[in-house]
Order: sequence, then structure tokens, then C-alpha cells
Amino acid sequence: MRVTKGLQLVAGTALLALAVAACGGGSGTQKDGAAGGGETPVRMKIGEPQKLFYPGDTTETEGSEVLAAIFAPLVKYDENKKPVEDVAESITTTDNKVWTVKLKPGFTWHNGEPLIAQNYVDAWNFAANQDNGQRSSYFFGRVDGYKDVAPGEGKTPTSKTMRGLKAVDDTTFEVTLTDPFSQFKTMLGYTAFYPLPKAAFNPSGKVTEEFAKKPIGQGLFQIDKPYNKGTDATIDLTRFDKYPGTKPSFTKLQFKVYTSAETSYNDLRAGNLDIQDQLPASAIATAKAELGDRYLDQPDAGIGYIGFPLKSNKEFQNAKVREAVSMAIDRKTIAETVFSGTRAPADDFINPAIDGYTQGACKACVYDPTKAKQLYTEANGPKKLELGYNNDGGHKEWVEAVANNVRAALGVEVVVKPFEKFGNILDDLDAEKYTGMFRIGWAVDYPSPENYLTPLFSTGAIGGGGSNHSRYSNPEFDKLVAKGDTAATPEEGIEFYKQASAILNKDLPYIPVYFYRLNSAFSQHVKGVKIDLLNHVVWTAVTKTSGS
Amino acid sequence: MSETTPAMPVTATAAVGSPPPPLAPETKPGYVEKPASLWSDAWYDLRRRPLFIMSSILIAVLVVMALFPSLFTSINPMDATTCQLSTARQPPSAAHWFGKDNLGCDVYARTIYGARISIIVGITTTIVTAMVGGLLGLIAGFAGGATDSVMSRVTEIFFAIPSILGALLILAVFRTGNVWTVMLALAVLAWPMTFRIMRAAVITAKSQDYVVAARALGAGSGRLMFRHILPNAVTPVIVVATINLGMFISAEAALSFLGVGIQSPDISWGVMISDARPRFLEAAGPLLFPAAFLSVTVLAFIMLGDAVRDALDPKLR
Repeated sequence: MRVTKGLQLVAGTALLALAVAACGGGSGTQKDGAAGGGETPVRMKIGEPQKLFYPGDTTETEGSEVLAAIFAPLVKYDENKKPVEDVAESITTTDNKVWTVKLKPGFTWHNGEPLIAQNYVDAWNFAANQDNGQRSSYFFGRVDGYKDVAPGEGKTPTSKTMRGLKAVDDTTFEVTLTDPFSQFKTMLGYTAFYPLPKAAFNPSGKVTEEFAKKPIGQGLFQIDKPYNKGTDATIDLTRFDKYPGTKPSFTKLQFKVYTSAETSYNDLRAGNLDIQDQLPASAIATAKAELGDRYLDQPDAGIGYIGFPLKSNKEFQNAKVREAVSMAIDRKTIAETVFSGTRAPADDFINPAIDGYTQGACKACVYDPTKAKQLYTEANGPKKLELGYNNDGGHKEWVEAVANNVRAALGVEVVVKPFEKFGNILDDLDAEKYTGMFRIGWAVDYPSPENYLTPLFSTGAIGGGGSNHSRYSNPEFDKLVAKGDTAATPEEGIEFYKQASAILNKDLPYIPVYFYRLNSAFSQHVKGVKIDLLNHVVWTAVTKTSGS
Repeated sequence: MSETTPAMPVTATAAVGSPPPPLAPETKPGYVEKPASLWSDAWYDLRRRPLFIMSSILIAVLVVMALFPSLFTSINPMDATTCQLSTARQPPSAAHWFGKDNLGCDVYARTIYGARISIIVGITTTIVTAMVGGLLGLIAGFAGGATDSVMSRVTEIFFAIPSILGALLILAVFRTGNVWTVMLALAVLAWPMTFRIMRAAVITAKSQDYVVAARALGAGSGRLMFRHILPNAVTPVIVVATINLGMFISAEAALSFLGVGIQSPDISWGVMISDARPRFLEAAGPLLFPAAFLSVTVLAFIMLGDAVRDALDPKLR
């Protein structure tokens, strides 16, 4: 519907009337009137979270979007991707090894408990302990005493707490690292570093499942009722009025769980959904014309990859096979045709939005079907390849395009395998059950080049927790990352990270396909939608329009 | 097609309404006709029907298309090198009659090759359901009594499952959709219909005088069933099977459209429609062409079924 300027006013009023009518009808059918006295919530699309809401166990985008609304982080990031204190009053260090965190006064948990330093100590000790099976455990690997709580598979932890972690008083705690790590402050905005209230733990010191279904946070919103994963289609939240900082201007927030990005986009157009943070590729071309300024296009630090399960499939262990597949992919045409120019062809393991990117670093990311075929024949690559993707994220088209590229260039059979949900493919990879190539993406947890390396490709991120889905392990790479971590300043560290990234560009445990841009859309019911660097919606900026 | 409607209810009510064999040989006048004359009469009749001629030609073309797609197009869509992503969604041109799809593949070639799966699924499923349903219906109708009751109840259980929903469930269990699983899912849910029709026809036929006469002359059960009853009960099954063939083709497309049926790289019209749907506003061709082929194919089989029924069952004309 294209309306010219002159007609817009009239059409706008008519639409407003429709919207009002739609809201009146909508709240009755959606059963969201129960708790909120009939107020229409702001509704956002998510895919089903992979895990229940344990902050230490949530390493994917969907669950962390919800947790980000419930919890407040120690630090946020400014436009220059530098950390700024949020719940923390100050985070100081003299040697990059001992870090002192002071909390701002006035924060309380949703159940009324005051937020104290011990809450952080308890939460981090729980997340790190390998007996608790939290996927983010390795994020605490730098804390002194981590080896006592997570000595590795088959061994029993000798302690329940890390000695490097102690609460000095109610508002101060101190973190001692094994080695200096200049980016420690930058990390603290991530989901794994959220605190947990006393009420989360049972007498034996474990976080209860009851809590994970109905988490109590200290952030902007509190959850209305326990979330039953697999059956509930919505997660309803209400504004926490005792939050000491800037509060959102609306009171009700609802996450709607979808299994298809196309379906949710249609819902958004029909006014049954307000925010979708990533549109399906097929919608991008028409979204701008249709939605106007309700369509957002911003650079994003994410990378889209095709991954190889190196451990469970021996055929992929030859680097030439991976290189050949990489060179068979016509990234430029995919970015232009499938994504209508809203993705950039990837040529490094570090996204240009973050310091440390080197243009053209990935030599095998150049489209060269002839060379690809030659390499593949030399390496005697498999005759049949499988390429898995999750069906709930709008990935089908570009994955099919990649499959066609590979078929054409290498002359092999490529079977494209859809997984119903993102969680399914991750679960199968974690269990080392799935042996085909897979689509995977990475949205940064915190703005540091280190975040593209350690969590995805370090030996420490294999199994247990961690996102090393390809099970890649290279001591030389680990060493360079460690050197970067212990460098005196972040700037010095970057040089080592670049070298580590250069190893990945040769080894290709994943092949980078595109650098993301964030293509989001929102409905006429809301205004001011902003999405931060971690792909979380900035709820304090969102307002509802008067019509809804 | 106003004459379509009576056929189904008549057979259906016969199936539902007939209580287990009330043997009353004299109630109906024997309508004895030599099988040969029925078929030749039907053939004579069919040749003169424009409906039959039209649908036969269409079906013949489709079958040739399924067997030898290379007669119609020089492009082999199974070969990925024929796809050029940079030419995606090109409108129809002299070189590419139906234009190009979202991945830059030739829509015309894909549509032609898509006929194969539809025809295979349609014909095979029809044969399987006609054989299984027909044989079981013959046994149930002939045996009567407890055997019939048990078999009929089991059939009713299958009958109660909504077919697309049931097929979705079966395919979800298999996790991989291909020609075989789709055919299995459709056949498992479709045979009860044939069963009922066959059973009803057998019950009617077995009380006819010539069957009683054959039995009196000492014919065994097998001979009675296959020589005397089957040829006289098979007509409605053939009619329903022909009409069902079209239904199976559209069911296959529906399942593939929903993503549980045929999977790429296999080409099916349902898959093509499903792939083209998200970008329908940008390029309608990749959706409309396979959809048109699908509609015409289903229509052709339904028209054929109609014509066959009219020819074989003069009473309904």
C-alpha cells in the first residue's frame, strides 16, 4: 500500500481507527488480559529458547533476549562499543588481574530481596561448577580457582566455590583471575554474568527448576508466570516498578514464540506482533517499501557461517575439503540476490564492526569454482554432503543457494536438511549425533574480537558448555588467544587476536559466509525501537503509540 | 459437473447402511450381464465422450512428461550448473519460457521434471490402495459375520483419522520425506475408502442368483470370489480409484508444500510452490506455473474418473 503524502493523513486516521478496533478484539482472543487488566502488551517475536532460564545455561539469542529483559547487566556498551557501568558503580583494576566491582545502591530483586555482592559470587560459582552442567561455565575459566570447580570430564570438583571470587561487603566484590585479562570488564555485560537471588537456590546450593521456569531478576521486567517450554506460546512480563534506573514507558511485554520467521512477519504486518528483530531474507526486499521507517537496517556484529563437525565426521578433517566447499560459495551473489544487499560477503573471522577485522584475510572466501573442484578432487572429498539448517530463522533460501553453489562447483550431491528449531540442531551437535555440515551464526556476547575466537574455536569451549560445535582444537590457536588475553592493554591484545584469526582463516573449522546486518521491523503500535550491539531491544527507548 | 454428486453418496450409503449380509436372494432381480459386454459397452460409450478424450490426451501428455522429461526441455534441472543465482527471478523469456525461480533455476524445466513425482505418487498410491482395500473388502464382504465385523471396525478406526493430519503425523515420525514415505502415509490413510466400497459391492453381488447357482454347482470360495463376485463388484472401485488418483497428487503437493513431503533436491510441484511463496510479490511466475500444472493434472484425473463412472455405471447417468 503506497500512500502519497497528501493522502497520508486521512489514511493514517483510518488506520488508527482500525488499529483501535483490532486491539479491542485482539486482547480478548490472546488471553493476555488476565493479569494486566486488558492492556495490550508490546509483543516481540522469538524462537523457542533452547534451555530453561538459567542465565549460566543460556548461550543462544532467543533465551538471552528474554533474560535481558528480566536481568540488568553490570555493564552496557556505548556507541563506540566501550563498556559503561550499569548496575556496577565502578569496575577497577591496577594489574588486569584483580578486579574490584562496586555495585550501585538501590537495586532490589523482583521478590523484594536487596541486590548484594554475594548474589554475584553465588551465581558465578554455580554457573562455573561442572556438576551443574551450565553451558557458560567456560566463561569463568579465567577466574582463579576455576580448575577446582571444573576439573574436566570424569573428574570430581574439589570445591564448590572459586577462590578468586569473594564478596568484600554487601556492595563490593573482588574477582582474581589466574592470568591478567585486559578485556574482563568488556565481558561483564554478557548473560552468563547476571547475578542470582538467594531464592534461586535450594538448600543444597543448586538453582531450582522452579526458578528457571519463573526467574526472579533485578531488571526492567518481571515474569508473570512460570514458562513451560514446549507448550507455552508466549512469555508474559510486567514492568518492575522498583527498578532504580530509567524505566520503560509501557507496563506489559510479551515474547511470542514462533517456529517460522515468515509467519511472524505476516503477523507483524497484520498488527498481531510488534517487534521482530530479524526479518526473513525473503521479506527484506519488500519490507522497506511496505513499512517505511518501521523497517530498521543497521550494521551488526554477527557472522553467518557454514560449520563442519570435525570430530564426528572424519571426511571433513581434511582442510582441503573445507577450503573447496568455501571456494565453491558465491558469497557476493548470495548477499545481493538472496539478501537484497543487506548482508556483506564475509572475508574474515572478525566482523568489521569490531576492532581487529582484516579485509580479505580469508583467502578461501573468494569464489573460485575451478580451484574448488581441483582441491576437492585432490582431497578426494565425499560424494554426498549434508547441509543442515534451522527452519525457524528464515535461513532456507540462502542455505539452498549455498547447496546449489556446492553442487554446481564440486559436482557432488548435497542434501539440505531442515531442523524444526535452532535448539534441535544445537542439541544434535552437542550430542555429536549430527555429522553433516550445518548453518550457524554468531551474535557477539560482548564487543571484543576475543568473542569471535574463544567461545567458538578454543579447546576449552568443547563439550560441557561452550559453543565449539565443530570441535576444533588447535594448540597454536589457543596459545595466541591466550597471549591476546594477557596483553597489557586491549590494543596490544588485538594484534594477537588477529594472528589467531589468521589461523582460522587457514584451518576453516567454520567457513564465514556473510557479515550480518540487522533487518528488523516493528508495527504501528510502537515507536522508537532500537536494538543494541548484543541484539537486544532497548526497552527503555520503546514507546507505545497512542492508538494501541 | 452435476452428475458427479450422486455416485459417491449412493455407494457410500450402500456401504454404511447395509447391515451384515441379510441373505435374501430373491429380493433383487438379477441384472446379469456378461463381463465382456459391460466393458466393451463402456469402451464404446467412452470413445464418444469429449470429457474422456480431453482428459485422456492430457494424461497421456503428463505420463510422457513423467517418463521422458527430456523430450520437453533440454535443460536438466537436477544439474545445479544450470542454475545461475545472479539471474534469480528473471521474468519469462524466449530462452526460459516460465522465467527463473528464486535460486536462478529454470522454472519451465523444473515444472516438467516435477510431473514425475506427482505421477509416480498418484499412480502407485492408487494401485496400492485399490489392491489392499479391494482385497480386504472382498474378503470382508464375502466372509461376513465376525470376520466382517472385526475388519469393518478396524477400518473405521483408520477412517476416523483426518487424512492430511494423519499423513503429517506419519511423516513426522519418519522425519525424512521422500517418494516412498509420502506414498506410504497416503496409502495407509486412503485404503479404508476402497475397502468400504468393495465390501458393499461384494455384499450386493454375492446374493445374486448366478452366485447362488455357482455355489450350488459346487464352486469353492476362491472361485466364487474371484470368478463370479470380483468382476461384478470391481466397477465402483475403479471409478473411485481414478478420482482418488487426482486427490493423491494434490495431497502429495500439499504435504510437500507444508515441508514434510518431498524434499529438495527432488523436484515436486508442492516444493516449488512452497519455495516461491515467500517472494510471490516479487515474482509470481515460479509459483503460478507449477500451480497451474498441478491444477490441470488433478482436474484431468477427476474428469477421467467422471467419464469412466458414467460409462461403467449406466444406471447413474
